[in-house]
Amino acid sequence: MTLVRKPRYILEDQCTGCTTCVEYCPVVYPDPFNQEISTNKAIHIYFAQAVPLITYIDESCLYLKEKKCGICEDVCENDAIDFNQTAEEVEVKVGAILLAPGFEPFDPKAGNHYGYGEMQNVVTSLDYERLMCATGPYEGEIRRASDKKHPQKIAWIQCVGSRQVNPPGGNSYCSAVCCTYTQKQVILTKDHNPDAECTVFHNDIRSHGKDFERFYQRAEELPGIRFIRSYVSIGKEIPESKNVTIRYATPDEGVKEEEFEMVVLSIGLNPPADAVRLAEELGIELNPHGFCEVNPKNPMETTKPGIFVSGAFQGPIDIPESVFSASGACSQCGELLDYRRGKLSRERIYPPERDVSGEEPRIGIFVCHCGANIGRIVDVPSVVEYAKTLPHVVYAQEQLFSCATNCAKEITDMTKEMGLNRVIIAACSPRTLGPLFQDTVREAGLNQYYLEMTNIREHCSWVHTMEKEDATEKARDLIRMSVARAAHLEPLQEIDLSVNPAALVVGAGVAGMTCALSIANQGHEVHLVERDHDLGGKARSIYQTLEGLDVQAYLRDLVHKVYQNPLIHVYTDATITDADGYVGNFATRVVSERGTTEIRHGATVLAVGADVYEPSEYLYGEDDRVMTLLQLEEQINRGSEKVTDAQGLVMIQCVGCRNEERNYCSRICCSESVKNALALKKINPEMDIYILYRDMRTYGFDEDYYREAADNGVKFIRYEPQDEPVVEAGESEEGRPVLKITTPDYILGKKVEIDADIVALAAALIPSAGSREVSQLFRVPLNPDGFFQEAHVKLRPVEFATDGVYLCGLAHYPKLLRETIEQAYGAASRVLTLLSHDAITASGSICEVDENVCIGCGQCVSTCAYGAVELHKTRQGKKAIVNPVLCKGDGLCTTKCPTRAIQLKHFTDDEIWAQIDAAVETAQIPSKI
Amino acid sequence: MESEPKGTQDQVHRSLADSIREGFEGNTFGDVMVVGGGISGVQASLDLAASGFKVYLVDKAPAIGGHMAQLDKTFPTNDCSI
Amino acid sequence: METVPLAPFQEIVEEVRANGGDAFKYCYQCGLCDTVCPWNRVTALSMRKLIREASFGLSETDEIWRCTSCGKCLQRCPREVQLVDVMVSLRRMATEYGLFPPSVRPVRGVTVGLSEQGNPLGEERETRADWAEGLSVKTFKEGMEILYFPGCYLCYDPRLQKVAAATVNLLHKAGVDFGILGVQENCCGESIRKTGNEPIFKRLARENIKTFVENGVKKILVSSPHCYHTFKNEYPEFMVNFEVVHTSEYMFQLVDEGRLKITKEYGKKVTYHDPCYLGRHNGIFDEPREVLNKVPGLKLQEMAESREDSLCCGMGGGRIWLETPKEERFSILRLKQATDLGAEVLATACPYCISQFEDSRLTLTNSEVIQIKDITEILQEVV
Repeated sequence: MTLVRKPRYILEDQCTGCTTCVEYCPVVYPDPFNQEISTNKAIHIYFAQAVPLITYIDESCLYLKEKKCGICEDVCENDAIDFNQTAEEVEVKVGAILLAPGFEPFDPKAGNHYGYGEMQNVVTSLDYERLMCATGPYEGEIRRASDKKHPQKIAWIQCVGSRQVNPPGGNSYCSAVCCTYTQKQVILTKDHNPDAECTVFHNDIRSHGKDFERFYQRAEELPGIRFIRSYVSIGKEIPESKNVTIRYATPDEGVKEEEFEMVVLSIGLNPPADAVRLAEELGIELNPHGFCEVNPKNPMETTKPGIFVSGAFQGPIDIPESVFSASGACSQCGELLDYRRGKLSRERIYPPERDVSGEEPRIGIFVCHCGANIGRIVDVPSVVEYAKTLPHVVYAQEQLFSCATNCAKEITDMTKEMGLNRVIIAACSPRTLGPLFQDTVREAGLNQYYLEMTNIREHCSWVHTMEKEDATEKARDLIRMSVARAAHLEPLQEIDLSVNPAALVVGAGVAGMTCALSIANQGHEVHLVERDHDLGGKARSIYQTLEGLDVQAYLRDLVHKVYQNPLIHVYTDATITDADGYVGNFATRVVSERGTTEIRHGATVLAVGADVYEPSEYLYGEDDRVMTLLQLEEQINRGSEKVTDAQGLVMIQCVGCRNEERNYCSRICCSESVKNALALKKINPEMDIYILYRDMRTYGFDEDYYREAADNGVKFIRYEPQDEPVVEAGESEEGRPVLKITTPDYILGKKVEIDADIVALAAALIPSAGSREVSQLFRVPLNPDGFFQEAHVKLRPVEFATDGVYLCGLAHYPKLLRETIEQAYGAASRVLTLLSHDAITASGSICEVDENVCIGCGQCVSTCAYGAVELHKTRQGKKAIVNPVLCKGDGLCTTKCPTRAIQLKHFTDDEIWAQIDAAVETAQIPSKI
Repeated sequence: MESEPKGTQDQVHRSLADSIREGFEGNTFGDVMVVGGGISGVQASLDLAASGFKVYLVDKAPAIGGHMAQLDKTFPTNDCSI
Repeated sequence: METVPLAPFQEIVEEVRANGGDAFKYCYQCGLCDTVCPWNRVTALSMRKLIREASFGLSETDEIWRCTSCGKCLQRCPREVQLVDVMVSLRRMATEYGLFPPSVRPVRGVTVGLSEQGNPLGEERETRADWAEGLSVKTFKEGMEILYFPGCYLCYDPRLQKVAAATVNLLHKAGVDFGILGVQENCCGESIRKTGNEPIFKRLARENIKTFVENGVKKILVSSPHCYHTFKNEYPEFMVNFEVVHTSEYMFQLVDEGRLKITKEYGKKVTYHDPCYLGRHNGIFDEPREVLNKVPGLKLQEMAESREDSLCCGMGGGRIWLETPKEERFSILRLKQATDLGAEVLATACPYCISQFEDSRLTLTNSEVIQIKDITEILQEVV
């Protein structure tokens, strides 16, 4: 592949990101990162937290345009400006390509019906996102363009650029994320301004993701919030106030025109701008919507072998799917390139560690300006001078960006030169850069636990922007406290743990099998455990997907591959009786048709699937004409005439969920109903099919099938939970025994009575019966709905907070087959990040018990969320013992221990007390305390 | 990103830096090229690097992060996007 | 809520579909049509509800006659529901069963006029070409450059006869070799078709086509966007294709080619109203404006709702024959937009619009503040 590296006109190694050049640059132009609401300079850093955090020069530069100016060259102290840079071609040879070019926000200026770009107070949701953001155009204050006032009355218009086949320029698909991001914006708007009145105009709220239903309710229940079911048109801009009127339709009161101070267009997701060119260059195909054409059996595969796709280029998806499709694609790269794994990576070698235990503390302090982030508020030079006066401090200096490569090197060098044995970096949060500076310290031959960080950014300059003097005073206090703590720091050893290269996968549905295969294809043994006698899980009762994939054929092939793979050991009719161990070294006892097996494995994947709710509603179980959607699908595929010859068929959505008992959306039922309706219409075009729904949630490209079903004459009638449909046995006009379904239609303002021969219920997907037991065995949490709770809903969707345990498939949350496949590959990839190493390193900052003081009360044992503390018998009775591998160093146990027998290393009582004592200088302590 | 195990982060740091450096040195053999440095591309690069592959991460913007970097917070937890 | 069993209405649903109203099936009840429908500027009318009723066979007769077929909803409907087709389908059924509510009864008289005299005004066929007396207009003969088809209202309505006269004067000045069909001309049938009377439309269309073919007509110049629409988009259903050009386009062409020379100034503030059938339905927005802009001294100003967003005069869809109470006329709103702008002339290019605006002008306290003119009438004054 040949890449063109655009010139940055900056020497990356030289630039410290000090932004002096930005201040002097005379060219002011609209900042694209802030949606052109605010301005920036021709030379600037892309955004406040950019990686790399260095400047670049944009086409608007006067020098680049007319060879004028060049001020930045003069002011740069590091000679980092290089106008001689040119675009260079870099040839790269790789074994696989992964495309993750994302999406392009829909541009509402195309065929503008919403006044965007014409009316100042009409903004897009992405503009609004920047308005809310602390690094945005008004530093996180929501202001409107016309008068810079805070808008009180704000409207959101949903589906701008989505769910429309007309007028041209829009998209027929649903962008899948806008409903929920709008709710987020509403909630955050209320955080910014509790008096704000927010109105969301929509036509179906699609909160089909995990925890989204509750989020929707949270937004809806806020005071001053209205969700109105109507698409709208813009009335006019009021010349004096620049307010905008919106016209919307209500079934009861007709069309209303209402004035808003700001209008937010909830814009959809378009294919990436350069998709066509990218596709041509790489020889891959695009789908009719302009997104990547993917293999329906494997949505991460493009039409060209070796080129994979993840994220929104697959189609409009949310962040968790973007994350696990990325991981999933990686696992497939791994399958392809397993033979060369590790060949191109290098081991890092550190200098030998110096033993400083006998030395007096010699502390060095580096105070960071963080560009202007700290330096503009805190008087850094005076803080440095102050630091030099503190006990044990032998060296102090300021730095522009401590994290910049040159500054980090400076820290290493000075540590060696001055013989420092404690290093304090007064900069940002250790959460972000702690690991980097530990590395820096190790480079100087010091144990990394001799590093102390003082947070004078988040804890100081950012929260005291108006109080420069007090902020400087506080920075001094914080540094004094750090010095006190640093003197007590001790070197700690990190432990290398061997990793058992085998994996255990619990559950052999599509998720479990796909995951197992991908792991095995990368050379690892997999133990696949299934409760049932047969493999396949829920997919056994699905015959087709909406896109037309033959699920049974797919499943047969998958099962075949699993049994064929010599690295996969299948255990059926299995029960897990015991699970023990920790990341890299698990031991699980399984009773199966093979007898009792003790499996040793380094990673665990939970793919235990889900069950289907057994309805008690709508005569289910009393009348055999009432069935679940899955039963309907089974009968369609069996060719049951009772179903295929039906004159009338009614499907009822949301049976058993989106209610108090199960407050979530089962996500797939709307698409599944549409799928079955289309299948029935194909067999019997005369059949009258009605789908009674609450919100149609055919998200993404499935929206096209919703319209196709309408095209085929399927009728959709909306109901509300307080007005549920009523199903009764009765007779048709001709005396045929039928089910009579009565349901309101809000547009007609009447109830309609439908005669049906079959009623199919979209029964909820519910957590698998065994999931609670599994969660206890593997010590992983469930969410309030009983589905497994991943480590982070957005960023870590296939793993648990417990290291070495992963999840995928319906056990995580209801999802479509293609999503299950992606998530299964995703889990496999995360497993490989663990199993591809012979050993992993455990932190040195863990808890330790002084057995002499421990009274064996066990409070620490019950407190620990990771099961890291146990009681063991000693000659002196029961004593607590910490498993260093499981301990996460949260220190919760230390707060519970009545005798202070348990201590968290690196945060010992001595260290913390010293820090606290130094908070207030002795002279200031009132004598009475 | 904060919650990534730190080992992983180190390796990506290294791998990215190496890629750039080697790009100039003429050693341009890699395992996988990731096109796009948004959340999906970044996650992919982390996974690949952590499981022993050399990654080229390319993006048209001067910094990685993609659209997610432009977002204020993410639903449904309202966690900070950055 | 009242409960309605749907089974007995199944047949009606089928009939709506058979009459060309199948498009109701796409509707997902978003309500956007209601928000743009001009009726909701003056009173309440829910197109969403009418479509919903049609989809269950529950249509009531009165409301379906309101639609002016202005096309605003068609332009915006995200599911591309052809709402006008559904309305026409329902009107066809009503016409077939003779279910005319009192307000729609005038259509009966129109039908009689159309079938007996070829025009909806109840005028005699023999007098159809009387407007052209003294204007040296020839009868069309094969080989002529263009057929001028003024349409019923320009032939008979005294106000609109002035437009016909202006048009032929301009054609003479430009040296265009043209002719008219005179008494052989029939109503184009566009509006009666919108009222659901398909048989009359077909008869009129066939007769016109026969006359065109027999006279060797290739290119037709029309003054009415309604004629334009049906000749161009609906007559091809009869497997014929004529080149159709609207006066606004043609005048622009003549001026542009230098055949028509503008010699005088027109020092007035003018605003242009886009007729629905010229603009939204057929995409002709620029030529009328460009020809006006060629007139020295003429100051053309745009109303807020212009081009694709133009506000209907209220006369399409057969409404020209029905009585609309004064407070429900969109034309009055439109006229106010023009006068608010300070325009001295409201220019347009449709006989329905002109007659309706002329009518509404009289409701103004000072009807002299604004004049209503066809584009040809303005041009006539400056060449």
